[in-house]
Amino acid sequence: MSSSLTADDARARLPFHQRRRLFLFLLGAPAVVYVLIVAVWPLAQGIYDSFFDYSLLHPANRHFVGFDNYTALWTDDGARRSVIVTIIFTIAAVGLEFLLGLGLALLLWRDGRFERVCLALLLIPVTVTPVAVGLIFRALLAPEFGIVGYYAADLGLSIPRGFLGDPHTALATVVLIDAWEWTPLVALILLAGLKALPTDVIEAAEADGATAWQRLRIIIFPMLLPAVFLALILRTMDAFRVFDIVFATTGGGPADATNVLMFYAVKQGLQFFNVGFASAIANSMVLVIAVFAVALIFLVRRADRRANET
Amino acid sequence: MSRRVSTQALIARRATLVFALIIFLAPILWLITIAYKAKRDIFTMPPELLFTPTLSNFSDVFKFFDIPELIGSSLIISLGSAALSLLIGVPCAYALARSKARWTVGVAYFFLAVRTVPQVATLIPFYLMMRSLGLLGTWWAVIMLNATLSAAFVVWMMYSYFRSLPREVEEAALTDGCSQFGAFWRIALPLVRPGIIACTLFCIMFAWNDYLIPAFLTRTETRPISVALLSAFGMLDITWGTLGALAHFSTIPVVLLALLLNRYFVQGLTRGVH
Repeated sequence: MSSSLTADDARARLPFHQRRRLFLFLLGAPAVVYVLIVAVWPLAQGIYDSFFDYSLLHPANRHFVGFDNYTALWTDDGARRSVIVTIIFTIAAVGLEFLLGLGLALLLWRDGRFERVCLALLLIPVTVTPVAVGLIFRALLAPEFGIVGYYAADLGLSIPRGFLGDPHTALATVVLIDAWEWTPLVALILLAGLKALPTDVIEAAEADGATAWQRLRIIIFPMLLPAVFLALILRTMDAFRVFDIVFATTGGGPADATNVLMFYAVKQGLQFFNVGFASAIANSMVLVIAVFAVALIFLVRRADRRANET
Repeated sequence: MSRRVSTQALIARRATLVFALIIFLAPILWLITIAYKAKRDIFTMPPELLFTPTLSNFSDVFKFFDIPELIGSSLIISLGSAALSLLIGVPCAYALARSKARWTVGVAYFFLAVRTVPQVATLIPFYLMMRSLGLLGTWWAVIMLNATLSAAFVVWMMYSYFRSLPREVEEAALTDGCSQFGAFWRIALPLVRPGIIACTLFCIMFAWNDYLIPAFLTRTETRPISVALLSAFGMLDITWGTLGALAHFSTIPVVLLALLLNRYFVQGLTRGVH
């Protein structure tokens, strides 16, 4: 590099590429150090705590219990129920959001003013405070005065305690509410994938007389798979740790029918102060999500390599 | 592929979209309208579309809640989180994008991984740490924890923006005697302005809409509006009408911001998530 660049520099004796490395290191370090201290350190502390029977109400009783807190996730009835509820919720919500999202994306897949305005308006639910979403549906579904509750009763779907108050319907209702908030996001991700597809292949298939369904199944869907995986992974990670909507609609009830793991962990840790057990639940969730995070990184890396090749 | 689609098909398609729009927007419109309904009108069955609007719910809200204080808290928390996340996140993203060492890609993925950690895993230990530091109940605690997730988001998103910039402009500037910081600040940064706007929008949105972290890290005087909204539910004297009025203040600012900056919002959703 030219010498004028280094003329008055106190570090002039360092060659340029070394000063460049130092500069980039100084720019990058604060964020890394910050995340290590404020996120990774508490995470490590949580792993340590999870091996203890540790309640803030009896801190003196703290003692090492090995993996007991983890095995309790399956041996404890409430915890096992919570694991099952979380799995059902995640699969149902992500499945529904994917099907509806794909439908919406195909409907929006056209570059018109109408479609653009529709997309902008459809994305509004994503921006609404999740707690407010919960309250809106709680009011709409209320058995005594909610609009939906009222018309459902009119149609003979009378549920005395309302859809959210009955153990048989509460989980399905929370799934629908989650789908209301997040389907537009799935639609957007899939739409971005659709718009990136090569149009000539699809037009060729159309010219060859392929029906709309054949085009979708044989040509569009296989090419769309990366976007599909991306949407599924992202939504699975988020649905698995759902909290706000559940808290605002059912509070985990009725009869623990919607007691998802995130809610269970928060309740155990910050309400009952069973720090050891709560940490074990939280860490198990981290482990499950880590599997999906690895899949996500794998997917992103592949897309990245492809982009660099072309 | 739309060239040969018939008018009928197009109408059917748009009608379905309109139907979807109604499903996705009606609950929000309903929330807005109940705020202007008198108590007796909310309970009228079947629900009436025409009613005499009233502002009594809003005067109730101002009576029961210190709205300026709640909005102030929400603003401090979201702007603080956004500022801190951008301050540390943007330079880091630049450094990762410009570094030639291969291991920096791993650091970028580390930030992506941090973003996927469920909040409760850090919240419980962090809560105990803040308690022993005496920071429980302060805005600092909320901002600090928020900024881990949003800084990770900023790094990952801006990393992709900086990488799509050609290096040649900066390299030319450096040979012409521009300082390294100047190359970052005056050349690279203005070129990624759309990314910065999208990041700011998302940091503010995360923090403004979040419930879990401030619910446990703030106290009554420092709580943001999202926490007040839920705690209002079940309070004596609080009707659905007052909740609707309160939700105006918690929901509408972010919805408007996202609509106003829709281009950046869509960019952030499609680009920032992966």
